[in-house]
Amino acid sequence: MATPLLSRARVQNALPVMALVVLTVIVGTIEPTFLAPANLLVVTADTMTLFLMASGVTFVIMLGCIDLSIQAVASMTSCIVAAMLAQYGFVAVPVAVLAGALSGLLSGYVYVVLRIPSFIATLAVSGVMTTVAYIASDTRSVPIPAEARDAWLFWATGRSLGVPHEIVVGLVVLVVLGGVLALTPFGRYVRAIGSQEQAVHASGIAVGRVKILAFALSGTMAGIAGVVMGARLGSGSPTLANEFLLPAIACVIVGGTAITGGVGSIWKTFIGALTIAVVRIGMTFLGVSVFAQQIVFGLILVAAVALTMDRSKVAVVK
Amino acid sequence: MSAPASLEVLGATKSFPGVLALDDVSLAIRRREVVGLIGENGAGKSTLLKVLNGIYQLDQGEVRVAGKPVQIRHPRDAFDHGIAMVFQEQSVFSTLSVAENIFLAREAEFLRGGLIDRRRLNEAARAELAKVHLDVDPRRRCAGLTFAERQMVEIAKALSLDTRIEGDITILLDEPTSMLEQREVDLLFEIVADLKDRASIVFISHRLDEVLEVADRVYVMRDGKVVHEVASRDATIPELHRHMVGRALHHEYYREARQAPGDGAAVLEVEGLTGRHGFRDVSFTLHAGEVLGIAGVVGSGREALARCLAGLEPPAAGTVRIDGRKVALASPSEAVARGIGFIPSERKTEGLVAGLSVAENMTLAALGRFTARGLIRVAEETKAAKSWIERLSIKTPSPATPVGSLSGGNQQKVVLAKWRIAGSRVVILDHPTRGIDVGAKEDVYTLVRDMTDEGLAVILLGDTLEEVIGLSSRILVMRDGRIEAELEAPPGGKPGQVDLIARMV
Repeated sequence: MATPLLSRARVQNALPVMALVVLTVIVGTIEPTFLAPANLLVVTADTMTLFLMASGVTFVIMLGCIDLSIQAVASMTSCIVAAMLAQYGFVAVPVAVLAGALSGLLSGYVYVVLRIPSFIATLAVSGVMTTVAYIASDTRSVPIPAEARDAWLFWATGRSLGVPHEIVVGLVVLVVLGGVLALTPFGRYVRAIGSQEQAVHASGIAVGRVKILAFALSGTMAGIAGVVMGARLGSGSPTLANEFLLPAIACVIVGGTAITGGVGSIWKTFIGALTIAVVRIGMTFLGVSVFAQQIVFGLILVAAVALTMDRSKVAVVK
Repeated sequence: MSAPASLEVLGATKSFPGVLALDDVSLAIRRREVVGLIGENGAGKSTLLKVLNGIYQLDQGEVRVAGKPVQIRHPRDAFDHGIAMVFQEQSVFSTLSVAENIFLAREAEFLRGGLIDRRRLNEAARAELAKVHLDVDPRRRCAGLTFAERQMVEIAKALSLDTRIEGDITILLDEPTSMLEQREVDLLFEIVADLKDRASIVFISHRLDEVLEVADRVYVMRDGKVVHEVASRDATIPELHRHMVGRALHHEYYREARQAPGDGAAVLEVEGLTGRHGFRDVSFTLHAGEVLGIAGVVGSGREALARCLAGLEPPAAGTVRIDGRKVALASPSEAVARGIGFIPSERKTEGLVAGLSVAENMTLAALGRFTARGLIRVAEETKAAKSWIERLSIKTPSPATPVGSLSGGNQQKVVLAKWRIAGSRVVILDHPTRGIDVGAKEDVYTLVRDMTDEGLAVILLGDTLEEVIGLSSRILVMRDGRIEAELEAPPGGKPGQVDLIARMV
């Protein structure tokens, strides 16, 4: 039995890529300089921090859960790295990322062990992390000295052979996390749990451990995103990553990962992140204010969820 | 046959890409008649039901109610034409009361000043419940009802149509007995006999003895066609089997000749095992190559015992040893690691991961064996899956096919393959043949014998008593959470159903 050319699954798979191409062409028509290679490199580099955040949360969404703490975590790690870098050097980077991982672990623990729904658990952890950020930054924006940045954050903000390092970091994450999701037992379990958790449990898999790991990974990636964001902006701030939560989740969903869990990939999230970036730039060209842009992201999120959600799995939407 | 049939299907044809699901099907349900509809999975019964319920539209042919052609485009249309369906998967809402369930979507009939007149609603519900002899308070929430009671509520809901519809009512019962114990089945049959005064009934079941007991006439479907029609009094089970499968049923239905004596080494030793609920002080020993059947009614504790042994509900007291070493049964991971495999009765929720492929489901419990340096070796996984697909003759286009698209019997074989790949030594089968067709059942029986031949030990909670008796080498009878009796069941010396029932109730 051949799959029909326009089966639902195929359309769902092809749609995100088609949307990206069409949107790129539209924006390129409005503003031809957009398609200049140098500009495309800059746009892609700008998108990578968003992709870093979205790549981690993809695992959580594939479980059928949500992580609302990522923007608070990213802000917090930007503060930690900014506050520590001049004095302690590169050690500040692993410390900041570790703080992100611990935050994710905490979310996972609250969700799995205390059995609190993930959106509440991560919302609560989000509040805690914002406070940590205020403490680390003494409630101010913390500048990163240029020499310290050039010495320790060149891996994130430099350029090699004309290619911004953000893109390299993004591609490494794409390959590594893509591989983790597609080729490791952990990734397989994440997909299986998102599809039918009870059967995975009954098959003898430590479901709770897999879930906690997924949240830790989400926190880790948000932590890395915060460090890269701080490096790019030259400062850390408790509100640095505000307004990133909605677009990050939109990236995952626009790419074709289902909010209901079980279906998705890191590659899809990568496509989703580029799509969101093109939309953002297109709106800027059209003169849509930064604040009004959130309306558009909200609409895109709703439309994408409507398209990708597996309604057979949730009889009642809550 | 002067009066027109209350429900008639004429030349019904329905195709899906690659399959002709209904091929010129014609059948008639006369007024006040109980008609049995049997056939293997994939014979077209479900498609026919979905057509009658407005979920599918026919390519050709028509449906007539009381002689008049009707269009059924929506379940609501079916309802309006007096066709009510009682589904296998129950559609009773557990958080609503019995009365609210019966009159769901009909609340408008009970409005007074914009509010629901609860007293009148409950009174009306009481009248409906009386029709099915169900003595529960209509104000009770359905969550507290037993499975059988919920089914009766659903039948009452279907019957409530007659206060609303002018003409005849036809009630379609889809596998109504598959989850019921014998006592409840008997009650259901009494009610069906009663209902004949009021409605025509289509009874769809895998259990031929039940169909013959309850139906006046039987239609047999195979490969989308009606292949046989016979009055129940003229029908015999072997003949119906032959029409269903298109060949004579194997003499050795339960492969008794292959039954092992069960004198192998003790694999599982259970002593004084007590659950947190459901069973107390259970002791038995399971030997390699043995099939140990557990018989009991709902509430006898056998399901709870099976789930406990699978690590799903940790025990409160007692000891369990596998190969002489104690096992705490604190979690399924522990049980699986120690060689216990559980084939649950709820295949779709606990047995399979619908979003994963056939191969991915098969290796789920032993993924570590297919992993090197942190990565899954997909080629080896596929190879193992292919070999099990062949060994268990699983009908699937490829190992990469989503498991959800397979038929029930083939899905069950995938669950079995999962535990074979995981190297389980003790396999617990909880209603392994529930909702699968005759041919697939026979396959499962063969596979059980294959497992015991290879020295695995099997615990069986059979779908029917006949199955428990036929397959087991030894039978434990449970009652009220305790082991009531232990009977040997050697080939040629099997206990009768009556022997077991006497100890069960």
